Amino acid sequence: MSGTERRPSWALPPWDAGQANERARPAVPGAFGLRIFTVAEVTRAIRAAVRADERLRELWVEGEVGRVTISSAGHAYFSLKDAEAQLACVWFRDDRLASPFEVRTGLRIVAHGRIDLYEPTGALQLYVDTVQPAGFGDLALRLEALKAKLAAEGLFDRARKRPLPERPAVVACVTSPVGAVWHDVRTVLARRWPATTVVLSPCLVQGEGAAASIVAALRRIARWREVLLAAGRGEEAPAVTIVARGGGSLEDLWAFNEEAVVRAIVAHPVPVVTGIGHETDVTLADFAADVRAPTPSAAAELVVPDRVEVAAGIAALGRRRDRALASRLAALRRALAEERRVLATLDPRAVLAARRQAVDLLGDRAARAVLARLERDRADVALLERRLRPTLPGRLERTRDHLERSRRSLTVLAGRRLERARAAVSLAGAALAALGPQATLERGFAIVTRARDGVVVRDPVEAPAGSTLRIRVARGAFGATATGSGDGGA
Amino acid sequence: MTMDEAAAGADRSGALEAAPPVDSLGFDAALAELQAVVGRLEEGGQPLEEALALYERGVALQEHLERLLADAELRIRRLVERGGGRVDALEGPGPEENG
Repeated sequence: MSGTERRPSWALPPWDAGQANERARPAVPGAFGLRIFTVAEVTRAIRAAVRADERLRELWVEGEVGRVTISSAGHAYFSLKDAEAQLACVWFRDDRLASPFEVRTGLRIVAHGRIDLYEPTGALQLYVDTVQPAGFGDLALRLEALKAKLAAEGLFDRARKRPLPERPAVVACVTSPVGAVWHDVRTVLARRWPATTVVLSPCLVQGEGAAASIVAALRRIARWREVLLAAGRGEEAPAVTIVARGGGSLEDLWAFNEEAVVRAIVAHPVPVVTGIGHETDVTLADFAADVRAPTPSAAAELVVPDRVEVAAGIAALGRRRDRALASRLAALRRALAEERRVLATLDPRAVLAARRQAVDLLGDRAARAVLARLERDRADVALLERRLRPTLPGRLERTRDHLERSRRSLTVLAGRRLERARAAVSLAGAALAALGPQATLERGFAIVTRARDGVVVRDPVEAPAGSTLRIRVARGAFGATATGSGDGGA
Repeated sequence: MTMDEAAAGADRSGALEAAPPVDSLGFDAALAELQAVVGRLEEGGQPLEEALALYERGVALQEHLERLLADAELRIRRLVERGGGRVDALEGPGPEENG
């Protein structure tokens, strides 16, 4: 065998035949008649063949969903299978999020898309754009139509959404009385905000009659509320209603896509929070609700505040209250201390009072001295009388008369002295009052102090230009600003 | 307790002499009044005696609120239909419920 031998054109694949001569490659020993391709060449060839097939460009594929993986970017990777084969599928994030349905393992679906080859793995994949539940094809179409109709009516408008009450005293719950959901809702409410009452309005949540049962449960709450309002017991009426159902298949959740349920939620007199199925389940009831929670437990968490957070808020209010009073008291204390300081340095009454007291003490001493002197004089007279009486009875009478006169005049004399002393004391007081600053102020004088430190200004040097002054006059005080030394302390 | 009543409770705190006993207040009314009391204390301007009275009222309100939170226990009722479309609320979680 020589290397120059050419392969016959029939041995080449049709897409390569035309290039066979130009792109001759060295034949591998033992591989006569076949070319060896690179992997990339083959995958490109497969891709070209697939893309050339019109049936694979746009198609519907029905099958059961196998394992589903959602990547961190949000793309879904899953397989569709039936009894004989399986097909890899990829559903990109944007298409997936735009869809009301989610793929789940075991679900029979109809997927729409195109077939293409993913070269890095050589896998043929269905690139899905939309998904509908198999056997639900009609319902799915009806749902889309209903959704469009109700949306056109504005039932799903953001502007319709009512705010939830902050701390509802009564919470209504529309769900099945049996099963985990009702238990979960109660548990969450008891843990987060036990200062509330939860009122169950029981209903069927799946199967025949579920939609009518849900509507009836919502109406029951509305009727009860009306009765309470009419009876003046509005505080016992629910302030918010939870509509909840546990997870399940799309069929299980179907009642929550019924028009009657959507309209009952929109017409409900208090805000409605839905918690239906799992996070990925979205029903028309969710669109109609004032708030959509991903699960029943999340709905219960949304309608009440957290006891721990509220307690922290109350404690913070208590601290603000304490600080407000403390700063108020501190300000009062500062003001009082300042008043005392000013009074001590400026108020003439304090000085005057001290002098009045000194005058009072002097007056007392003077009066006491005069009285003591009088007593001594009286004692001398008595003694004299006793010594004179036995010796000179004749003179005694005269002397007695004389003494009596002397005593009287002495008393008068002492009284006058006392009177004079009192007058002098009173005069001293008046003089002191006249000398005190208040009288001076009354005469039109003023006391000038520096506003900065309260020092009394006696010399222009103490009040340079620009310094702020406080001027006290007889009936008050006012501020002033020094403009300079003027005529130089004349 | 409706929001209107809560607001009325806050208003009543304006005239402390006429304020209802703290223990008679529901949670919302007590919280609204505590917020009002703190706001007025922070604003200041009232005579010292009034500030002290406000402060004491605030302490009582805080204690009352904390007691309400600590003592609260979830109440459970269920709505049932009576004859003639009447609706009644029964105490308790209902016969089907065991947990």
